[in-house]
Amino acid sequence: MSDALVRVADLTFGYPGAKQPVFRGLDLNIAEGEFVALVGGSGVGKSTLLRNVAGLVPATSGRIQFARPCSAGRRDTAFVFQDTRLLPWRRVRANVGYGLTGLKLSADERHARIDETLRLTAMTDYGDRWPHAVSGGQAQRVGLARALAVRPRLLLMDEPFSAVDALTRQHLQDQLIEIWQRLGMAVLFVTHDIEEAAYLADRVCVMRGSPAEIVHDETVAMRHPRNRNDNDFRRFTQRVANQL
Amino acid sequence: MSTSDSRQRRLAGRLRRPLLGLVGVAAFILLWKLAYMFTWAPRGTLPDPFSIPAALVNEWRNNHLLPAVGSSLIHYVWGLAVGTLLGFGVGLLAASSSWFDDFHYMLARVLRPIPPLAWVVFAIAWFHVSHAGAAFVISIGVFWVNYFATAAGVANVDPRYYELAQAFGHGSFIKRVTSITLPGAAPGILSGMRTGVGQAWMTLIAAELLGVPGMGQQMNAAAGVGAYGAVVVYMLAISLIYSISDGLFSLVQNRLLRWRP
Ligand SMILES: Nc1ncnc2c1ncn2[C@@H]1O[C@H](COP(=O)(O)OP(=O)(O)OP(=O)(O)O)[C@@H](O)[C@H]1O
Ligand SMILES: [Mg+2]
Repeated sequence: MSDALVRVADLTFGYPGAKQPVFRGLDLNIAEGEFVALVGGSGVGKSTLLRNVAGLVPATSGRIQFARPCSAGRRDTAFVFQDTRLLPWRRVRANVGYGLTGLKLSADERHARIDETLRLTAMTDYGDRWPHAVSGGQAQRVGLARALAVRPRLLLMDEPFSAVDALTRQHLQDQLIEIWQRLGMAVLFVTHDIEEAAYLADRVCVMRGSPAEIVHDETVAMRHPRNRNDNDFRRFTQRVANQL
Repeated sequence: MSTSDSRQRRLAGRLRRPLLGLVGVAAFILLWKLAYMFTWAPRGTLPDPFSIPAALVNEWRNNHLLPAVGSSLIHYVWGLAVGTLLGFGVGLLAASSSWFDDFHYMLARVLRPIPPLAWVVFAIAWFHVSHAGAAFVISIGVFWVNYFATAAGVANVDPRYYELAQAFGHGSFIKRVTSITLPGAAPGILSGMRTGVGQAWMTLIAAELLGVPGMGQQMNAAAGVGAYGAVVVYMLAISLIYSISDGLFSLVQNRLLRWRP
């Protein structure tokens, strides 16, 4: 584990005024380029953990450390929200470029980055649309593109596909795997759906309890593309389900 | 045959509204004319509707109309600009700083109910009968409209956007305000500004009726010599200029809010 990209060590966090912390003494390492899925019941603290890792809320105690400083033109983390959270007053292109201001890129580099990211997410034809004029699945892709545009070392995704229909979800999952293999960033992916976790991730972590801990952490030893009807796959999801 | 039938029906449907609108205006003029012929109002106070064009030509030739319009426009533009900017700025501050909110809320509660026209007394005392005095009175009404619209618009911005801003490197105060607060509150702010555009006219005429040169004063002067036709000319001029300024503003508003579905 010397090649860990990020080390979460002894992390405790409680919302102001809450009687007890959401989690206490939580540890989690994520390796460079690793795809980690985080599953757990509703309200257990998955989104809160992502917010901590993204630095959106200050930890009560503990450490979140990234290996070596981030290279120029990139960010350590980028967030994909379940509710897409596209800014309705920016066209798709401008939404994708939202995280690039302040990254010390020239205008040309910025445009090239946006173009490339739109291509990666197959949204090139929609760059001039307003967010209200794209479908739910397309909006989710724009949200993904906005996060990818900053070429994060760790991509944080909070139930990104849970609001789209099953067919679109499978399509988005395959697209995500392809992008992840191409860009090689690490991913921390929160989901309710164990099958989704098993289909996507290198490792599945189960969060449980109050304050929550990571009670199960298992490597997925299947190659992509995975088959959801495979016996190994079914046994894996069953094992994880028993931990929930 | 049947297609041309339905096309005719559709054309008739589209023409219905403007035609009925014209009929409504004609009916009003007829009623007015009857009131004039049968002297329903005290004698001499109601002009003949058909004398209005002549009254217009007369006001124009006397060189009363244009200077009055110009003078009113000066009050209008200054009062509107100052009131809008200050109302917007203070409203923005009130909604984004809890310290300032606490600091000013009591004062605002005391000052808010005072009608702009009540300030005419001070306007005359401080600025005498001048453009600045009229602009001052106008700006007060416009200020409150923009103050409330901006404060409410900013308070209603979805807080989840601020989390987004923080996650994508727009966490500093300036970046947050420019990338989230202002665009997010723009619909409320702009509709407040548009209300101000109308409200300014209402106060303007009332302020001028009290003696500051402009259309309101001309109306008063005309009424004093019984020239009620001229009064109507100024009323129609007010209506026209209001429609133009509101129309121009709505163009700006639609342009800025074209992202809305
Ligand atoms: N802003 C907040 N202030 C106070 N408490 C909060 C806040 N956000 C979440 N909580 C509480 O913290 C706990 C963890 O919430 P969190 O949103 O992280 O759960 P989650 O695992 O993401 O749940 P879900 O799967 O339903 O999204 C919950 O008990 C929740 O009520
Ligand atoms: Mg959540």
